[in-house]
Amino acid sequence: MSDGDYDYLIKFLALGDSGVGKTSFLYQYTDGKFNSKFITTVGIDFREKRVVYKSTGPDGSSGKGQKIHMQLWDTAGQERFRSLTTAFFRDAMGFLLLFDLTNEQSFLNVRNWMSQLQIHAYCENPDIVLCGNKCDLSDQRAVSEDEARELAEKYGIPYFETSAANGQNVNQAVDVLLDLIMKRMERCVDKSWIPDGTVRANGNTNADLSESPDKSKCTC
Amino acid sequence: MVDQPVWEQIGSSFVTHYYQMFDSDRSRLGAIYTDASCLTWEGQQFQGKLDIVKKLTSLPFTKIAHSITAQDHQPTPDCCILSMVVGQLKADNDPVMGFHQTFILKNVNDSWVCTNDMFRLALHNFG
Repeated sequence: MSDGDYDYLIKFLALGDSGVGKTSFLYQYTDGKFNSKFITTVGIDFREKRVVYKSTGPDGSSGKGQKIHMQLWDTAGQERFRSLTTAFFRDAMGFLLLFDLTNEQSFLNVRNWMSQLQIHAYCENPDIVLCGNKCDLSDQRAVSEDEARELAEKYGIPYFETSAANGQNVNQAVDVLLDLIMKRMERCVDKSWIPDGTVRANGNTNADLSESPDKSKCTC
Repeated sequence: MVDQPVWEQIGSSFVTHYYQMFDSDRSRLGAIYTDASCLTWEGQQFQGKLDIVKKLTSLPFTKIAHSITAQDHQPTPDCCILSMVVGQLKADNDPVMGFHQTFILKNVNDSWVCTNDMFRLALHNFG
């Protein structure tokens, strides 16, 4: 997994209250499994996955696939002992903001997480996908789909109802986040505002990085 | 068998007592601090029994368990005891995390109180 054969390295962070299912969500995404008794090994603090991203032009044509190496970072629960600092958010390009559909407080706290993001992320409007997790527990639901969608619309971010237990919408949520980030990169000719080291063309694939802004210009 | 030095005995019984109380009912920890005691919790400073207990009881977890890996104790020039603890903790269902904690214990009116307490999680990749 750690070999250097990829075009882009992209770092995501999973955020949200303790117990909303961040670790299970990431585990479901990278391994396609759910373990309700999941215990991480001390010292392992992120999961990795390789995907191929195909950009689609406005005319629907799909470009050349790009190999993406994704790092998905999770908190260890240290937010209970101290507030998360800027260092934690460093280098992250995209954010999965989770709440628990069966826990109203975790939904109310989405506002706090959004303001944390605005303070600590690399820019004021980073790419975020909101996920209402545990949608499989429909009999315990405490947050309606409508109010969650309304909040997401207010922030102008996509919303998904997900289940780390059965995998519903887990891949879709991450795919949409990746798409937002790749589109942002394509839009940006001068990449100086992207955090250093998070996105880099790897080895001899350098040409792809410098070409991509031109390509998107052509298709416009 | 050689007896342990007195500071080792006092230090280790304090450490046992402290974490037992922390894990069962941390509102009772006020008993070991004085109004002059200092706590530095993840870089945040608190002084006095009341503020210290307020901080410790406001930590947002319901269950916590500490496991002590190692502890060291030394006598200080002013007849106090300096104690350092390295261990792991588990709060609610979160992953296990390492921590460090350092105490200074002082004998006041024939009982030992904690005058200084410093706590840090041992996490290095999270800033």
